[in-house]
Amino acid sequence: MKTVLKLAASAALCLGAFAHPAFAEDNIVKIGVVAAESGSFVSAGHTLPAGVGLAVKQINDAGGFKVGGKTYKLEMVKRDDRTDIATAIAATQELVRDVKVQAIFGSETHDFTLAMAKITQPAKIIHFAGNSTLAKILNPDSVKPGGEDHYLFQSEPQEFQRSGSTARGVLSLLEPLLGFKPKKSVMIVGNDATGQFLSSYYYKALKAEGQDVPDIIFYPPDTTDFSPFLTRAKSLNPDIIHFWYNGDSTLTALPQALELGAAKSYFLFGVDPGIWKEKQLSADVPVAMSCVPVCWGESSNPKAKAYFDAYFAAGAPHGVTSSVSLLYHDYVHFLVEAWQKADSFDPDKTVEALLNLHHQGVVSDDLTFNPTHQVTHATEVCAAAPGGAISCAMQQPPAEAPKS
Amino acid sequence: MKTGNALRSLLPVLVILALIAAVPLFSPSNRFLSLAISAGTNVIALYGLSVLFGQTGILSMGHAALVGVGAYAAAILARDFGVGFWTALPVAALASAVFAMIVGIPSLRVGGHHFVIMTFAFGQLLAIVLTNGGDYTGAATGLDIAGPVTLFGADMSDLTRYYLMVVAFVTAAAVASWAIIHSSYGRTLRAIRENEKLAASLGINVGRHKIGAFVVSGVFAGISGVLLAYFLGHISPSQFSSFPSIYLALMVMIGGARLIEGPLAGGILVAFLPEVLNLDPVQSRIVYGVCLIAVIMLLPDGLIGGIVRALRVAFSGKPKQEAERDAAPSEARQ
Repeated sequence: MKTVLKLAASAALCLGAFAHPAFAEDNIVKIGVVAAESGSFVSAGHTLPAGVGLAVKQINDAGGFKVGGKTYKLEMVKRDDRTDIATAIAATQELVRDVKVQAIFGSETHDFTLAMAKITQPAKIIHFAGNSTLAKILNPDSVKPGGEDHYLFQSEPQEFQRSGSTARGVLSLLEPLLGFKPKKSVMIVGNDATGQFLSSYYYKALKAEGQDVPDIIFYPPDTTDFSPFLTRAKSLNPDIIHFWYNGDSTLTALPQALELGAAKSYFLFGVDPGIWKEKQLSADVPVAMSCVPVCWGESSNPKAKAYFDAYFAAGAPHGVTSSVSLLYHDYVHFLVEAWQKADSFDPDKTVEALLNLHHQGVVSDDLTFNPTHQVTHATEVCAAAPGGAISCAMQQPPAEAPKS
Repeated sequence: MKTGNALRSLLPVLVILALIAAVPLFSPSNRFLSLAISAGTNVIALYGLSVLFGQTGILSMGHAALVGVGAYAAAILARDFGVGFWTALPVAALASAVFAMIVGIPSLRVGGHHFVIMTFAFGQLLAIVLTNGGDYTGAATGLDIAGPVTLFGADMSDLTRYYLMVVAFVTAAAVASWAIIHSSYGRTLRAIRENEKLAASLGINVGRHKIGAFVVSGVFAGISGVLLAYFLGHISPSQFSSFPSIYLALMVMIGGARLIEGPLAGGILVAFLPEVLNLDPVQSRIVYGVCLIAVIMLLPDGLIGGIVRALRVAFSGKPKQEAERDAAPSEARQ
């Protein structure tokens, strides 16, 4: 029994060693990042701390920012959620209650963000997340002062806007490459929370652009053999197969689709032309790609090159979804501008400032939040011709959601 | 086993749980408390799994689905009927038990590896149903669960209070598991585990008892699900699919399914090992895989069984066979 007691006491002491009091310096403002730096979502996850970290460096290198007559610098405190909800929640608890951050960025996973918001919102922590699926909870009631999501902001356009902008870009770029106006589209979509949500909007966007969409084919998220889904798609004789939404899965599916000759052209959501070039991919049919929100391999956005040069110079890897970093980078600058405008770190005053600002970011010269805390901007689409030439365009999103 | 000996086997767990309950006195970080709560909810499900696997010899690879039934039952009850935490607990436990029975009746007609595959398939099936359940199940996005957890007027949403509540539930689960192990029902289950044909020849209704054990493990899983749902505030199908089920089976095998300390050790080890050693998910899976192989080959009673055996040999000098007999409840000594 003595041994058991000793072991148990040692265990309790070891567990107690996890305790570490919150530490704050007078002129340092801590902002937290919760992202999947390991696990199945690492591809998008590593872009969050990279984007936020770059913004923090830019702000600090410029001498910091002034609030209440005092100059502050930022400190990023990042936590890896390991693509595990329990770890994401623990990390959020730690950042909110122990580290006492002023704001949180992340996560890129919708379910995790919803659970995280249950912690950040009662604690009045400004929370930015690049999940368009947040539209499910962001409504006039939930974001009003005292509402349960008053401090939550969606740093990605509403999905009808992103889908609309993307659909317009894909069709406008593929039409000249195909030599005819594409009329029939089939969607192949990963069957998870994000896939179900995104595809429901993109389907409507395609229909709004006059496309005949006979089928949405869902595949299990961990699929590697796409032949059953591609065979089904091919039987519908589509002009375009649209792959949504995981760039890694899409890059697995495309060679199989090309070999099968499943369609006359393809669209790959979330695949950067930079990856297309680096992997020396080619196709005998036109292939469109979209970036969330601006591409790094090729871009029509004049600010993109400078941003991505700095982003990669800071050590971030070239990834399928490196551009996702822009859903966070711009909002660190935006938040600092809001603090300066409010001349306070008070969360309510910060929310008010965020809703009244027009911020010049990389993604857009006029980033604003609407009354339900969501931004509006275009999404870039690029297309690789069979010869290899890549052209890009940013089509403005529709003002209103399609009716059907 | 005499009552005194039986109680003595429970005492170390109670002492460990008392020390675990005292952890908030050391002002642990909220990260630790949060991870500990998640681990605690797993441990409750593991105590159910230990009744099934450790006592009856049936391994379920779809146990997270039973946890999911409890969690979704609590979320749907709260959303559609305004039912709170404490009422949801027995209802969700019952729902998981009924689901276990529905799964168990066809599955337990087959034995061994086939049963493992059947439970795995049912787990996957539930995840598919939840993912495609539309607004009722929240589809792949899942469901929010709102409403505070109160106890005698005190708001239990505070992390420390929720931690203590989970520790209390773990204690109750451990005691319930211990009571089952040391009851005539537990002896019946172990008789089935050791030799099904012999048990049947003695008049034991093997099929009914196996389904019964599965139902009992469902009750534990349902309670675990309710605690998890109210802690996270949001649940989705991916939390209850095949991987979490494999992890639960892994935890109970590593900790040791036959001893009362096993589920506690397995749950804590798997929850905190990546944290302590700073392992990413890939490294964690490698470590768990190696641990599992080592446990199966070297420590058939799990980590705790191995430690107990080693301690007995080291301190009392008892020979290996005797130490083994002491380490686990034996039918010869009942």
